[in-house]
Formats: sequence, C-alpha cells, structure tokens
Amino acid sequence: MSQTPVSATVGDREPLPRPSPAPSARLGRGEGDPRQSAIRLLSYLPALVPTALVVVIVIVLLRASDLQVLPGFFSSNWSPNVGVHQIPSWGIGVFVTGSFLTALPAIAFAVAIGLGIGIAGTTYLPRTVSRFLDPFVDLLAGIPSVIYGIWGFVVVGPYLGIAVNPWVAEHLSFLPGFGGGHISATGQGLPLAIFLLTLMALPITTLLIRDALRAVPKDLWESGLALGATRWEVMRRVAIPYSNRGILSAGFLGFGRAFGETVAVAMVIGGVSSFPINVFGQTNTIAALIFLNADSALVTAGLLQALAEIALILLAISLLVNILGRRLISSLVSEQIAGL
Amino acid sequence: MATALSSTLRSEDNVLFDRSFRTRWRIGFDRWIGRLLPLLFLVAILPILDMVYWVSVKALPTLTWTILVGQSPYASDELGVPIIGTFEIMLIATLLSVVLGLFGGVATAELLSSRAAGWMRMSANMLVGTPSVIVGFFGYFTFVLYFGWGLSLLAGAVTLSIFMTPYIFRTADLAFTSVPRTIREAALGSGASPTQYILRIATPIALPQILTGIFLAMAIGVGETAPIVLTTTAGKVAPDSLSSPVTFMTTLIWTGFNQGSNSPYFVLAFQAAFLLMVVVVALNVVVRVVAARYQKRLEGLYQ
Repeated sequence: MSQTPVSATVGDREPLPRPSPAPSARLGRGEGDPRQSAIRLLSYLPALVPTALVVVIVIVLLRASDLQVLPGFFSSNWSPNVGVHQIPSWGIGVFVTGSFLTALPAIAFAVAIGLGIGIAGTTYLPRTVSRFLDPFVDLLAGIPSVIYGIWGFVVVGPYLGIAVNPWVAEHLSFLPGFGGGHISATGQGLPLAIFLLTLMALPITTLLIRDALRAVPKDLWESGLALGATRWEVMRRVAIPYSNRGILSAGFLGFGRAFGETVAVAMVIGGVSSFPINVFGQTNTIAALIFLNADSALVTAGLLQALAEIALILLAISLLVNILGRRLISSLVSEQIAGL
Repeated sequence: MATALSSTLRSEDNVLFDRSFRTRWRIGFDRWIGRLLPLLFLVAILPILDMVYWVSVKALPTLTWTILVGQSPYASDELGVPIIGTFEIMLIATLLSVVLGLFGGVATAELLSSRAAGWMRMSANMLVGTPSVIVGFFGYFTFVLYFGWGLSLLAGAVTLSIFMTPYIFRTADLAFTSVPRTIREAALGSGASPTQYILRIATPIALPQILTGIFLAMAIGVGETAPIVLTTTAGKVAPDSLSSPVTFMTTLIWTGFNQGSNSPYFVLAFQAAFLLMVVVVALNVVVRVVAARYQKRLEGLYQ
C-alpha cells in the first residue's frame, strides 16, 4: 500500500515546531523571550473560536433562563397568556412529545431508505450509474428548509389531506389512533412533518451509511462470494454487521438533524399547543415553538425565560445525540464532506 | 456451456451446478433485490424534481426583469430590496466567518497539540449540530436585546456568521491537516519557519478545499431562515446603515407564507424561493466542481 490514506496521519500530527532562535543570538531573542511567547499565545487564540462559541451560547442561555424552574414546566399545560390574577403555566410536555413523534418515525424511515440506497449504490449498481445518482441525494441537503416548508404546504399538504390521509384512515381504522377525529384538509399535521423530515434527514443518513459500507474490506467481500454466498447474503451477514457502528451513527446524527429542524416543521405541523388527536393530528415541536414565539417574547411576561429554558433542553438533546453519533464514527472520512 | 465458465463467472451462473429450490431462491432473491433497491433513489430524486417543477411553475410565469431589479419602496411586488439586503447580510457574515473560521482552522491544524485540536474539532462539530433556531435565539437575546442593536442588519449578519463559522473552520482545519506529511517535513527540514510553511507551502495546496468550504458555508447560510427571522426585521427600503431593518430572501418566503395563499406576498415568496433555489444549486455545483478538481490535484500530488 503505497498510498497512505490521508486520515491515517491526522490523529498523530505534531504541532509545528517553535521557530529556531535567530542566528545572531541577540539578547532578548531567545526561547524565554516574553514577546515571542506572547505572539505564540496570540496565534493560539483563533483556535478557541468554536469552543468559545459553544461555551458562550450555553452561558447566555443559562443567563436568559435565570436558573429557575418556571411554574408547571414539566406539565403538559402551555398557557402563557392568562388573566392578571392567575399564574401562567409553562408546560413543555406537548412539545417534547411532538418533537419525538415527528423525529423518531422520520429517522426510522430515513435510515431504512438510506440503507437501501447505500446497498444499491455500493453493491448492485455499476459505479458510473451510482456516481450519477448519488449527487441527487446530496442535493437534498442543499435545499433550504424554508423551500421544503413552502413546497410541503402548497403541494404535498393538500394531496395528503384530501387524498392520502382519509384513505389511510378509512382502511386502517382498526388500528389505534388511525380512525375517528378530524382530518385537516390542508394536510398540516404529523404525516406531512414526518415526510419532510425524512427527506431532510435522508442525505446525512445515506452519506454515512454509504461511507460505512464502502469501508468494508474487499477481502471480506471476496471471501464471502468465494464461499458461494450471493451478494445479498454477504451484505446481510458480513457487510452490514461489519459497518453497524456507521449505520448507528447515521441514525444518531440524522435524528439530531430532524429533532432540531425548525422552519419546515413550523410551516407544516399546525402549531397548536395540544397533543395530536390522532396520527394525522396537529401539534407542535420544541424548535418550532421557540421560532414561532420569539417575536412575542418581550410582550408576554416570562416567555423569554421559558423559551431560553426550552432552548437549553433542545440544545442538550441535540448535543448529546451529536456527540454519541460522532463517537461512533471511527474514521474521518465522513467529516470530509463538510456541511453535515 | 463452456463459455459460462470463463472469467466472467457470476453468482447466477451457479444454477449450472445446483438446481435445488433453495439455491434458485437465494440467487433469484439476490437478483430481484438488486433490481428493486435502486428504485429507492426515486425517493430522493422525485421530490427534488417536483420541488423544482412546482417552484418554477408558481414563480416563472409572473417573474419579470422589473420584479427582479425593481426597488419600489415597499417590498410587496418587487425583489430588488430583498436581493440587496441578502447581499449585504451575506457579505458581512461571510467576511466575519471567513476570518474567524480560517484563522481558527489554521491554528487548530498547525499549532495545537493533537489532544487540544481534538477538543476544538469536537466543539466545531457540536456547533454544526446545534439547531439553527438556538443560534437565532442566542443572537436575539445577545445582540438584539443585551447589546441593544435592535432587529437590524448587524445583528442578523453576526448571528448568521456564528452559524457559518464552524463549516469554514472544519474545512480549513481539514485542508491544512491533509497537506501531505512529506511536504510538511520537507519544508520544515529545509529550514522554512512555521509562518513560511503556512503561507507559502500549505496555503496554495489547501486553497481549493478552503474555497469549497467557504462556498458551502455560503450556500448553507443563504438558505437559513431561523437565525435571520429572529434577529432582523423586514425593511421597506435597502438598508443604509448597520442598524437599519433589512429584508433577507428567506424572510420574504416566511412572511409570504404567513400572509396566506391569497396575498401578493405569496407569489413573491415563490419568486424568492425560485431565485434562492437557483443560487443554492449553483453554489452546490461550484462546490462539487472545485472539490473534484482538488481531488484530482491531491491524487497527482501523491503519485
């Protein structure tokens, strides 16, 4: 192997050496010169940018939340605007439920479809064809979420609301949650949000799964085929178990993306502060709540504080999921595609 | 069937030796799943085509040159003011994030110990994973309220730059770390100072990848809605100072959506969406082309 992969040299790279002392060796120019170490310290400073930003964001959110739990914060009753003599209730139960109800099915679909696309692209399709098709999946990541939202609202929503959802409700009414209740004709609600989130999480899951499957050593493939297994059997029994960490990380990172997605969801989820009445029902998510309420945060007393606390919860979940997902990727390959 | 035993022996050809039902099932299953799985690409391709089709259908028939460049004082039917606003926000945000991200990436790649650099990379990844609405809320609380900048051009641009910085940081870091170790050692071994190495040797090699990162950050930034909507307010005229209201493309789409499908803003939203899509797809294509060239160059470097 004459070509060392780039990523292999990344981890154990030495920092650049200190500049050698000037040959003239004048006084005050040596190693201990405070001016030189000050310059060196200054050049370290920009490296702190990302860490500093994370720390500052957390501190600011903590400050904005005033570090106290608001009344009814862990209940499901969100009623910030109440009469003068009543205490508002800041329950986040509905929104946390709504976030999970949209993000979990979406990521399940996205991983399943991504796995199918990954298997097809790495194993079954000729290299030339997959090289032509792969950019389409990546392009899904490039489209702004507000365009997803307006397309979902104008094009997909009415189709779901008038044709698909009533049909599903009629034929699957024996399942809990499918029958009964009102079905919105605009299509706004859980299915539309899940559909959009699946599309938005698809590029990252596909990319990570594709990378993981490509990283399966050729030897394993060839020995599997030589033993008489079909391509599908090698894929199922050897390649997928071999790359399960990559697939799991695709799930985590895609979930983080779907969980934090704001604008597209805000446009199609309906934005009501109650649990969905059935699987087609409208509700709200954490991210959409912050987005939709921030402009009235100064008018309603206590709302700013509540939003900051909700933002902290969202941040904690996103960061946790992200760290878990990144930990699972052992190679740096996927990080080369920035933007994910 | 001697020809089937040539070098192009495929798994299907096993039928020749073993005609049991189980074997035929296994081979047939493999063949059919190989034909069906590629259809899943349609899940990605059809929505894109549908999106492009509908946005074009809604936007193009009414999109004229006057709408595109017209700067009528109230942004109800012309796009000139939002386009200028978008340019100004993107200019400031890109400059800020290039400065922060580029210097940060170089320092991380070249100066820090690998342990410290690992921390920086992890926090950059955490920033990328931070939902945009949190960056927006942070900008709203810090710049708009605490610093008292109000809903303004400056607040929007700085918030957007926070969102864009980690992308540039990561590509700059990666570009400098993937300069081949041999080149680095050759430069340092022949007496180059760290500064000379960074400026004269590593930067030219890393430049295409850095540019890719900047374009990519711009493509992501220009389509971002939450950080901008939370920190700016729509302006009727093009901004004349850093504290004036400003209209961003995505703001226009969001407000148009909120006005409902009967208002003229709704048509304008689709026109803005069309323009935005063209810009974003163009930036993505540029990123791909530059990345492909850079890949070739790097391959040539290794040989």
